[in-house]
Amino acid sequence: MENRYLNDYFDAVFDTDRDRALEVIRQALDGGVTPEEVIFGIIVPSMEKMIGGMVTDSLVTLSQHFLASQIAEEVTDMLIPRFATAPEMQGHVIIGSSFGDFHGLGKKIVGGCLRAKMFQVTDLGINVRPERFVEAAVNGGAQVISVSSMMVHTALGDMGSRRVRQLLREGGLEERIKLIVGGAPYRYDEQLYLQAGADAWAATAVEGAEIISRLIKEVRAQ
Amino acid sequence: MTGMQRFQAIMAGQLPDRVPVLCNLLDQGARELGMSIKEYYRRGENVAEGQLHMRKKYGYDSLLGLFYVAMEAEMLGCRSIIYAEDGPPNVGQLIISEPEDIRRLQIPDDMEELPRFRELSACIRILKREAAGRFPVIGVVTASFTLPAMLMGISGWLNLFLSGPTELRSLLLEKCSQFCRRQILALRQAGADLIVYTNSVGTATFVTSRQFHDLVLPSVLRDLEGIGTGDLVYFNGGGQINPQLKTLVEQTPLRAFYINPFDDIGEAAGMLNGQALLVGTINDIRLINGSKEEIDDQVKGIMEQGKRVTGFAFGTLMMPYVIPEENIRAMLESAYRYGSYKRGA
Repeated sequence: MENRYLNDYFDAVFDTDRDRALEVIRQALDGGVTPEEVIFGIIVPSMEKMIGGMVTDSLVTLSQHFLASQIAEEVTDMLIPRFATAPEMQGHVIIGSSFGDFHGLGKKIVGGCLRAKMFQVTDLGINVRPERFVEAAVNGGAQVISVSSMMVHTALGDMGSRRVRQLLREGGLEERIKLIVGGAPYRYDEQLYLQAGADAWAATAVEGAEIISRLIKEVRAQ
Repeated sequence: MTGMQRFQAIMAGQLPDRVPVLCNLLDQGARELGMSIKEYYRRGENVAEGQLHMRKKYGYDSLLGLFYVAMEAEMLGCRSIIYAEDGPPNVGQLIISEPEDIRRLQIPDDMEELPRFRELSACIRILKREAAGRFPVIGVVTASFTLPAMLMGISGWLNLFLSGPTELRSLLLEKCSQFCRRQILALRQAGADLIVYTNSVGTATFVTSRQFHDLVLPSVLRDLEGIGTGDLVYFNGGGQINPQLKTLVEQTPLRAFYINPFDDIGEAAGMLNGQALLVGTINDIRLINGSKEEIDDQVKGIMEQGKRVTGFAFGTLMMPYVIPEENIRAMLESAYRYGSYKRGA
């Protein structure tokens, strides 16, 4: 595959130019690049390069993260049915914003990144009750619950991830289902995830995907 | 010296007795009065009483005439505000969900016609009367570039400003700017001495340098055009602003900047080069679990850097409700001690 597709796509996403980014993908597909190569050779590396903090000479912003992740999700959903063989999924993640929290940006960025990296993602939306997280994880056979909170009281409150932890404990599910959190409060205090009852936290979507991958391996090793 | 004298001193380029301290306690006022947060915010007189109690109790230098940020969405038609027992009220209904909603959005001519603004204005009037010139009363307004996030959700706003129709984006920004300007004038009319202009979505945490120059900067200039800016403080709202600071001080009439805890104070001071006041900010989420020693160290570091700057104030972000009272006291005691300009301090 020509490097220029990767470079052009990265430049377009870095410039938050959605139309140009999608045009590069179209050109790549028209030029004979396979759907698998588009995802694993263009979309994912670009996302990792940008969201993963590998661009060090500039402050990468949330608008860039948002666009990169949104396009990644859209292109992945479009191209997976065109894969030569069905991709092997890394695992199943339940994702949502904590109860009382109506912010959905962080969750969307993480969700798009996870889809492009071949995780099955069930997005429960915003303002999600703890019981719904656990119920969806049990019913869907998910290995990880990911709770996003943009405010301290929704991160640490009784109806947030602490209640999810309590439900997992009461249900004897802690070995089968791991809990990861993310969102602004955790960036300001890197130990806050412990108070939120989580197994881990992540500062970026790419880091989140790596940690979720590790948590899934832990669950499967049980 | 009173809080007002401290602020007047730094604005005149003089040294006060100590660094002025801004402490943004909001929902804590409900606890102070033994009310639920919902009941507390129902009336402007409750909020005024809570603010007066807290200022007297902790001794900081200003009075905050703000209820909760989501109230601006309420003023523009949001009918569902979600209350919590331990945190700020949240927007529960987005008033813009389709393009036509932007065209239909009505900006009130007279802010005092809005019941919620009347409560805010009543609060500010009480604070102004009770302050009797000893403490500045602070009003808060959301910048036109940030307000759409409350009206259509942050993802909706990002989609519109990144890839949506230019005509719709311009129309929304123009309407939000109208609202911002009218609110600044109305807050002044009610008695606000200082106005904090919050632009979280416009910060370097959200937008690229190109977006800042193409979209954010023009929106800031439009918000502030012809209305006087001597009482305005540009507030980061949770994002970093150092990468934009040089442009902001060179290309806008703003002369006070409230940076983020992740923005370096020394770097900010270098860019402002004595042309504007600087508010250095503590990472107040670290106050939730921090020990007295850790809090003392954090404050000391900020003050050591800040006291090298001409025109420096100490501030917090939005002080979460769960910060223990003893940690609020620890932060403020350290701020008063390390902020002193007295010889030997």
